[in-house]
Amino acid sequence: MAILELRHVSKFFGGLAANSDVSFEVPVGTIMGLIGPNGAGKTTLFNCITGYYPPSKGEIVFDGRAMNGLLPDKVCKLGMARTWQKVRPLTNLPVLDNVIVGALCRTRSVRDARRIAQEQLHIVKLEGKAHLLAGALPIGERKKLEVARVLATKPKLLLLDEVMGGLNPAESEEIIQLILDIRKEGITQMVIEHDMKAIMRLSDRIVVLNSGEKLAEGSPDEIVNNPQVIEAYLGAES
Amino acid sequence: MMEAQTIPKPIIPRFPSLKFILRAVAVLIVAALFFVPNYVEDTYILHMMILIFINVVMGSSWNILGGYTGQYSVGHAAYFGAGAYTTMLLLQYKQVAPWYGVWVGAAAALVVAVIIGSICFRLRGPYFVLASIAVAEIFRVATLNLKDITNGAEGVLITEIPPLVIGGRLITDWASKVPFYYIGLVFALLIIGVTWLVRNSKLGYYFQAIREDQDAAHSLGIGLTFYKNVALAISAIFTSLAGSLYAVYVGFIDPSTVLGLDVSVQIVIICIIGGIGTITGPVVGAVLLVPLSEALRSNMITDLLIKVGIVGEETRMGLFLKEHLSQAHVLIYGILVVVTILYMPAGIVGFVRRMTARKARA
Amino acid sequence: MEIFFQSLISGILIGGVYALIGIGLTIIFGVMRVINFAHGELLMLGMYATYFLHAVFHIDPFVSIVITIPLMFLYGAILQKIFINRILDALPQNQILLTIGLGLIMSNAVMLAFTSDYKILTTTYSSSSVTLFGISLSTPLMISFAITAVITAALYWFLLKTDTGQAIRATAQDREAARLMGINVKRMSIIAFGLGSALAATAGALISPTYYIFPQVGSAFTLKAFVITVLGGMGSVVGATLGGVLIGVAESTGGVYFGSGWKEVVVFVLFLLVLLFKPAGLFGKSRT
Repeated sequence: MAILELRHVSKFFGGLAANSDVSFEVPVGTIMGLIGPNGAGKTTLFNCITGYYPPSKGEIVFDGRAMNGLLPDKVCKLGMARTWQKVRPLTNLPVLDNVIVGALCRTRSVRDARRIAQEQLHIVKLEGKAHLLAGALPIGERKKLEVARVLATKPKLLLLDEVMGGLNPAESEEIIQLILDIRKEGITQMVIEHDMKAIMRLSDRIVVLNSGEKLAEGSPDEIVNNPQVIEAYLGAES
Repeated sequence: MMEAQTIPKPIIPRFPSLKFILRAVAVLIVAALFFVPNYVEDTYILHMMILIFINVVMGSSWNILGGYTGQYSVGHAAYFGAGAYTTMLLLQYKQVAPWYGVWVGAAAALVVAVIIGSICFRLRGPYFVLASIAVAEIFRVATLNLKDITNGAEGVLITEIPPLVIGGRLITDWASKVPFYYIGLVFALLIIGVTWLVRNSKLGYYFQAIREDQDAAHSLGIGLTFYKNVALAISAIFTSLAGSLYAVYVGFIDPSTVLGLDVSVQIVIICIIGGIGTITGPVVGAVLLVPLSEALRSNMITDLLIKVGIVGEETRMGLFLKEHLSQAHVLIYGILVVVTILYMPAGIVGFVRRMTARKARA
Repeated sequence: MEIFFQSLISGILIGGVYALIGIGLTIIFGVMRVINFAHGELLMLGMYATYFLHAVFHIDPFVSIVITIPLMFLYGAILQKIFINRILDALPQNQILLTIGLGLIMSNAVMLAFTSDYKILTTTYSSSSVTLFGISLSTPLMISFAITAVITAALYWFLLKTDTGQAIRATAQDREAARLMGINVKRMSIIAFGLGSALAATAGALISPTYYIFPQVGSAFTLKAFVITVLGGMGSVVGATLGGVLIGVAESTGGVYFGSGWKEVVVFVLFLLVLLFKPAGLFGKSRT
């Protein structure tokens, strides 16, 4: 069963197509990798899925419900949460409060939210920094905070936009473990990542975007051996 | 559940009792404030206290929207004026007692807030600021022009307030400043209490999330328009209470004194100087600014300079200051704002907090 | 119809002065991304300078701008160096508050020095007018419009043809890129603020024969300046020129059709409509 289904999704800015005619399904409980060269329209697609832009054409169906035109807060309430490529901590609030804000999505009680937040901070191993201001964290910990914060919203589907970008290998490894742990909880994930090794290890299936279009879809093995994908990557890098 | 309990308690306060002492002092001061009219007969002091209370209400109300939610309205005169005009017009022309009129005023401010919110909250940053000014100016000019209802530039003067009688017993005939003192005190405590409640509830977290990063807040399930409007509604209602109290207390209003841009600016300045996004900030701001500006307005500063002998009374400087300084009492606001922004952008409260934190670390 | 043309023409004439105010604000915003809430107060200082040059030295207000312009350029440059320069990276709201504070200091300092009494600058031609095709045109307004046109032309020449002007435009387009290209961005900021304040003061000088002069006169013009720049698109000099004329016309025709008390409302409603529906300005390209 698919938790998320994209049917012929296109997004135009002026005359430019950032995404055109993208279709795929994300099965429940899996990790879907989303890759593509810079400017392939990955983040735009995330923004369409999570309600930041309405898609110009096509349909997005989440959990059996058409999402077109729903604003990000509604999308989050329905159980779809995202992180940001450029992290967006609530700088002047303590780390704990950042996560509490996420947890309040599911409860009105600040006390309950605080309990949930503390659990989440424990999971990402930030509990020792709970009372520091979020703006004081180094980049690696900001990324973890970002993950803890969206997990606190109790999502069914998590969209991770380059959570490993700018991290050192040890930190990346921690995040990889975290993503695998999240899958064990039964949370479906869609992951944008530039680190090919990581994405191949994590993903059950991969969608490749190129110039806004879906270039290929398949298992990690199929993708590495796909001549079109190889060409797109080599072409983009040369 | 187990996990949550294993988390160590963070940051043990350096002086476990410091916070407690401060709170106890605050409670004592508040308690003492209730007895001030019993011992203080100087009407000027009472007058000053009433003005401080009104300014605390103005500043704290703005703080909910500007300080906690990060929406820098420079058009709060619209709500102040909505309260003031509604209460005054009802009292003067329909003989509605102010203790009813105040609530109609709050409702009027709420209507104004819905209009302003629906326009301004589509905009962000400096555009929001400009729009908030423009809408407030529209209300001012409209009040100036709708002479049949508002009496235009001549303003509204009340001739008498009906005595407040409850159950056949005369509570007050409004002849002294004391009833206004208590109303001001209660309003001030009310908005401080509301701010405290807001800060420690879901609303407070959501407001601050919006202030810090609107897009991030949106992605965490926060309906931006809804929560901004809630913040504005709370803010507008209490600002209108301050406006109504001011109007009835002074007994006269006109468009420039209750709807002018200076009123909006003054509200923001109280918070900036005290420290925005804190409960104590607007209180500190009001306690500092009101006496200072009153001292200038009533020529106390000049008299002091002359008395101490810095300026001779009969010298040109002395005569000059005596004649002009009272008019330019807002000068001090300007200087304080510039100094605050340049040297302590988090306001006095933020500055003191940082100093104490630094001392604790050293 | 005659009334319409009458108000249209006087609108255009006063619009020229508004354009100067708007251009000044838009240059400052373009180069520094700071919204100058003390803009009207700079205009007010220009009015007072003109008034005293006339009262003490009997210099004609339209001639005295040769003194007022360099004086206020210097004043603006100093303001930038001492205050504005230090808040370029601050939060926009703090920038706004700082300039509000500076404006309060200026207007209240003037009040302290010269009281809040209204002053009137009377020249021999203050209330004279010329009638052309049945339309009566105020002489001081016509002279001021002519001067405005000359100054605007000179300004365009400066921005388009001189090295400094081009450097200012480059800075306005992209501060970082300009810095990398070796443009002295700090100096450009000082010049921009000086220019902005000189333009505001010129506008003040030009209207002083027809307006009351008092310390609080500025705030109305600050608001007008915002409306003009937003209308024209923040940072666009051409936009501000057109915006100024448009506001002049909107005010004077609005005054005729809705009553003079309501003309400000017409302007503000126009402003809100543009903010809401065309935030890049009437003449700007919309982003999405």
